[in-house]
Amino acid sequence: MTAASGVRRTLWDRLFLALVAAIYIFLMFPIVLVVVLSLNSGEFLAFPLEGVSLRWFGALFGNQRFLAALIYSVQIAAVATVVNAVFGTLAALYVARFAGRWRDRLRTLMTSPLLIPEILTAIALLFYFYELGIGTRYSLAIQMGHIVITFPYVFLNVSAALFNFDRSQEEAARSLGAGPWMTFRRVTLPAIKPGLITGGLFAFVISFDVFNISLLLKALGHNTMPLELFDYLRFNFDPTAAAVASLSIFVTFGAIFLIDRTVGLRSLRF
Amino acid sequence: MTETRTGAPVAPQHLRMLWMLAPAFVLLLLFFILPYVSIATMSLREASTRAVHGEGWTVSHYTTALTDAYILTVIGRTVLMGGLVTLLALLLGYPVAYHLAMSRSRWTSLLYVCVLSPLLVGLVVRTFAWMIILSNNGVVNQTLRSLGLIDFPLQLMNTPAGVVIALTHVFLPFVVLPLLGNLQAINPEVSMAARSLGASRLRTFLKVTLPLSLPGLQAGAILVFVLSISAYVTPALLGGVRGRTMSVLIVQYLVDTFRWPAGAALATIMAAVALIAVTLFLLLTARAMRRLP
Repeated sequence: MTAASGVRRTLWDRLFLALVAAIYIFLMFPIVLVVVLSLNSGEFLAFPLEGVSLRWFGALFGNQRFLAALIYSVQIAAVATVVNAVFGTLAALYVARFAGRWRDRLRTLMTSPLLIPEILTAIALLFYFYELGIGTRYSLAIQMGHIVITFPYVFLNVSAALFNFDRSQEEAARSLGAGPWMTFRRVTLPAIKPGLITGGLFAFVISFDVFNISLLLKALGHNTMPLELFDYLRFNFDPTAAAVASLSIFVTFGAIFLIDRTVGLRSLRF
Repeated sequence: MTETRTGAPVAPQHLRMLWMLAPAFVLLLLFFILPYVSIATMSLREASTRAVHGEGWTVSHYTTALTDAYILTVIGRTVLMGGLVTLLALLLGYPVAYHLAMSRSRWTSLLYVCVLSPLLVGLVVRTFAWMIILSNNGVVNQTLRSLGLIDFPLQLMNTPAGVVIALTHVFLPFVVLPLLGNLQAINPEVSMAARSLGASRLRTFLKVTLPLSLPGLQAGAILVFVLSISAYVTPALLGGVRGRTMSVLIVQYLVDTFRWPAGAALATIMAAVALIAVTLFLLLTARAMRRLP
């Protein structure tokens, strides 16, 4: 498919396709491997497989630490998603419509948590919260860290949706007597919904995966899912870890499937 | 956009609507911008064994770090590994981006998912997969041994090599995505014109497509370099002592040995190294970019 249609495939085309296929395999192999190994009925994370079973998923759901971590992660990610859905949408609306010559500078500021290495932000927040006298108590530091780090995903996706939005629809609604709130709810919101859904899902998935922020800012005695897995891997190397990994892979691909079905994958903005 | 229907004296719209920006702005100011000031001040504090930091101010953490042979080795290793990852990611990412940009297949959506998948599957999970592949009893060594190619396992884990392989995998999407946007924006008629004027495909690629995709390559290279020199999870799990990078060292300072001011100085040095490397890279590539239309 690399050449224009009608041109015969040359040896170079075939070599190129083989190279690309090899790179795709390199990309997918580790992920497929984890899923396959999590279904192994044997004791070890190795080939050959002894049989297929869900016993390691059973072990996972019987593990209190992993369950507690799962709940904690979902809480943190849910709060981050809801806060960013509101803050990110408002900010995107302002930057797209009223920012004028400040637009580029504001856009850079709003996306900067994505551009600056996460570990530096984690360190900065650690020092900052200690200076405030709060430290890592009440899960406040970790929650704020997750909100800040996932903010750009909502902002960027809503901004992208606004880019293609024709404002004359809003003016039509206003001239027909709709108030500002009614106009927003019935005209603007439906138009930016795809961006909001994608951005929100991304914020949730990214928050679920964030590691450095959680490592340095976690409240004592509370581990997020990636932290729990990291701790587990340092001392154990059995298929329970693969089951945890598979579960997070299924969640992620479920989210991708959802995005593809509702708004289309090509609408993603990073 | 600032005229009003009533004509009454009202503040311009961009000021009246500022409340929309306020929540996000306050959030980033309080929990993103101000915290960065804390790194700078912390790095200039005296060390203390009884509190987070001592009373006085000092630059000794910087001078110590920049004259310590071990820390300099770690800095050098981190930059070298980052450079290698960037190079490998560009070499592997370009064919994929090129293929995706040219693809008219209905499977393109699926291929997108393949490309994005390392990005979307948690960092720890990805690194864990590489542990299974690279360990002494891992997939690579088992395969090589059953083929009779080796008698003793290759040491892939706890070396810089393992970290470089895993980081290349993790950051490949960051090369493909900017390049893809760039390649899709190139007018296909330009390369068709070159072909119809008798240029070979290789020549068309080298003289037309490659130069036009330099901005995408540049963006991808910077992203991957900055991400890989600041990565923590992968070097922490796969690198061992021989593959220890700056991030791992910094976290050790902060969490294990509780030397916050010295750790803050190291973090600042890491940011400075990234900034210097990116600036040098931009200066070096500026000449190639200037020849673009």
